[in-house]
Amino acid sequence: MSMIPPPFDPELAAALEALKDMLPQQLTMDDIAAMRQGPGIEMLAQLDLTMGGFFEVEDRLVPGPEGEPEISLLICRPAAPATPGPLPVIYHVHGGGMVVGNNRVGVDAPLAWARELGAVVVSVEYRLAPEHPHPAPVEDVYAGLLWTAEHADELGGDPERIVIAGASAGGGLTAALALLTRDRKGPRPIGQVLLCPMLDDRNDTPSAHQMAGRGVWDRTANETGWTALLGELRGWPDVSEYAAPARAKDLSGLPPAFLDVGSAETFRDEVVSYASRLWQAGGVAELHVWPGGFHGFDGFAPQAAVSRDCREAHVRWLRRLLGE
Amino acid sequence: MKELAGRLTALDPDAGAAVRVIAYFDTLAESRAGLEALVRGAAVLAGCPARLVDVERRVHVRVEPDGRRQDSDLPPDPDWPSAALVPDGVPALWLERAGAAEPSVVDAVILERAAGALRVVLDRTRGRAPLSPADDPALVETVLDPTAAEGARLHAARRLGLDPDDPAGRARAVAPFGGRPRILRVRREGGPADGAPRGRRGGRLAEGTSRGRQDGRPDDGTSGDRRDGWSGDGTSGDRRDGGPGHGASRDRWDGRPTEAELPGGRVGVGPAVPVLGLPGSWDGARTALRFTAGGSPQDLGERVVYADDLGGIALLAELIAPGAEPPPDVRDVERAAADSPWMLATLHAVASTASLRAAATGINVHHSTLQDRLTHAEALLGWPVRTPRGRLRLHLALTMRHLARG
Repeated sequence: MSMIPPPFDPELAAALEALKDMLPQQLTMDDIAAMRQGPGIEMLAQLDLTMGGFFEVEDRLVPGPEGEPEISLLICRPAAPATPGPLPVIYHVHGGGMVVGNNRVGVDAPLAWARELGAVVVSVEYRLAPEHPHPAPVEDVYAGLLWTAEHADELGGDPERIVIAGASAGGGLTAALALLTRDRKGPRPIGQVLLCPMLDDRNDTPSAHQMAGRGVWDRTANETGWTALLGELRGWPDVSEYAAPARAKDLSGLPPAFLDVGSAETFRDEVVSYASRLWQAGGVAELHVWPGGFHGFDGFAPQAAVSRDCREAHVRWLRRLLGE
Repeated sequence: MKELAGRLTALDPDAGAAVRVIAYFDTLAESRAGLEALVRGAAVLAGCPARLVDVERRVHVRVEPDGRRQDSDLPPDPDWPSAALVPDGVPALWLERAGAAEPSVVDAVILERAAGALRVVLDRTRGRAPLSPADDPALVETVLDPTAAEGARLHAARRLGLDPDDPAGRARAVAPFGGRPRILRVRREGGPADGAPRGRRGGRLAEGTSRGRQDGRPDDGTSGDRRDGWSGDGTSGDRRDGGPGHGASRDRWDGRPTEAELPGGRVGVGPAVPVLGLPGSWDGARTALRFTAGGSPQDLGERVVYADDLGGIALLAELIAPGAEPPPDVRDVERAAADSPWMLATLHAVASTASLRAAATGINVHHSTLQDRLTHAEALLGWPVRTPRGRLRLHLALTMRHLARG
């Protein structure tokens, strides 16, 4: 294995260079507090959640896991659905390395899909590490899905057509959610969208080493995120698969998966490996490895040619999944 | 960490923005990004559409600020901020920002950096203009020369990427004002534009095509009609089908080049002809060029004129030699023009629009104002311009004025 990583796509490299002073670099535990105050919050405040009046937006407190606090769901419903009857539901889990973010983070992507497809978006807020280590985040995410499935009718949604989706840490939690719903015989999502998902606490794949010190979420930052979630357990043999889905022994019986990842990012090898294991378990999965993509590239540089292709691929897959 | 730290969208016009612009284009250049990526960078950073038009190299790229490639046939607005690819060159990169009196500092940095990077890529990938055989002046000259041997003309045509063996193949000679002659392949119906099939080469493929057609494969109607409509040598004005003038039959309207395929400035375009008819098309193009206008208040008229559209008016070109003593009607027009600054524009509007009402709208005056002006003009000219015959006389006088000025 060469320690020289694949080059960034030219347009992505340029965006990275122009944005580098605004991006987190080699995040450590001491940086988490500062990051929570970072420029991202201001940007989220500017996001028009109605997408120009297409959605009706509501924040709703719903029961959390048993004995735990309530959780907040961001619910965005088409104000004037084009089709009668219950709509598909996209249940979104935000990213942020398990340590930052809220249910607005990255929600513009599922809102864009839902606008295209005529769907309801529910985005869940979960407690963050390190104050709330595993299993708090994934249990909150599970509780939110339970409520969503039970109250889908109320939202104009179809409980039989819930797609779970997330990027980065949200992608990892989404994969864990798929395992949890299978094992607890909970609601059955019809698909899982895992965008550059954070799956493996061991943080020792070739791509994790290759990308050390480069790109957006490097090996140091990844170690910080996992350590916040798992404490001293991180990397040891008995980490739960509901924390780190790459640990799961059995990947059979899961809903069809869409996975994507950049070729120039820490998570490349763990995502490719997870897709392979889904196929080996007899599962249905579509995998895209975007050449020269750094972590979250389509969010940082949505206009780049490769980002546009990437985002179109998401919608095409959802269209096929939903049978449109 | 997706999307937490911000996105690369339209930048605020602060000092930091200029630094980021420079970093952006320097990185694109280092990683040898292509033309579209560079134009996209300009569009994204400026937050408005950006376009690159390099006529010499036949490059046209337009990108929306959301990154979508969307080319346009409409000409660039001269008021948009722009940059040339070479010092003192013509503008080639535009930011489609309307109403910007002076480009902002950030726009200026974007244009300067993007143009510099584009020049390097164009030189690397397309060679220094002229780059393709289609711009080789010696080959073009041979194909357009009626005195050159037929074999030499066919040989030169093949080297230019034209296919003389394709019975449906047509090309046009193009005469730019003050520029070298050009040859444009005529676009087939539903086929690729000029230039795209240049790589298709060799008699074998061409034979295959013509044999296919002889075997009764349905020809496309356009080319069939064209073939019937043109005599063997295809010389302009040598139609033998007894039809109306060039351009009158509908089929000749397609296969016209887009704005982007034509050189800038005044251009005469010859009729679409088979390869061996190109000397005739060149005659037509040069005649058409004499009917073009630069667009200044003293020189109103069309920048691009097709020989196809002239019909009988083309005959005037033979009667009026450039620089010769102008006919009396032209002298009358000059005298009237010297009387009032609005005169030429008003007369031009009356001659070139369908109604007086449209003429008034075209020059932004009230209908009654136009009537007053025309009464004044008729007194100076000594003939009416509001009767059909008078309007024709005016039109001819303006056209002859044009031809006499050369």
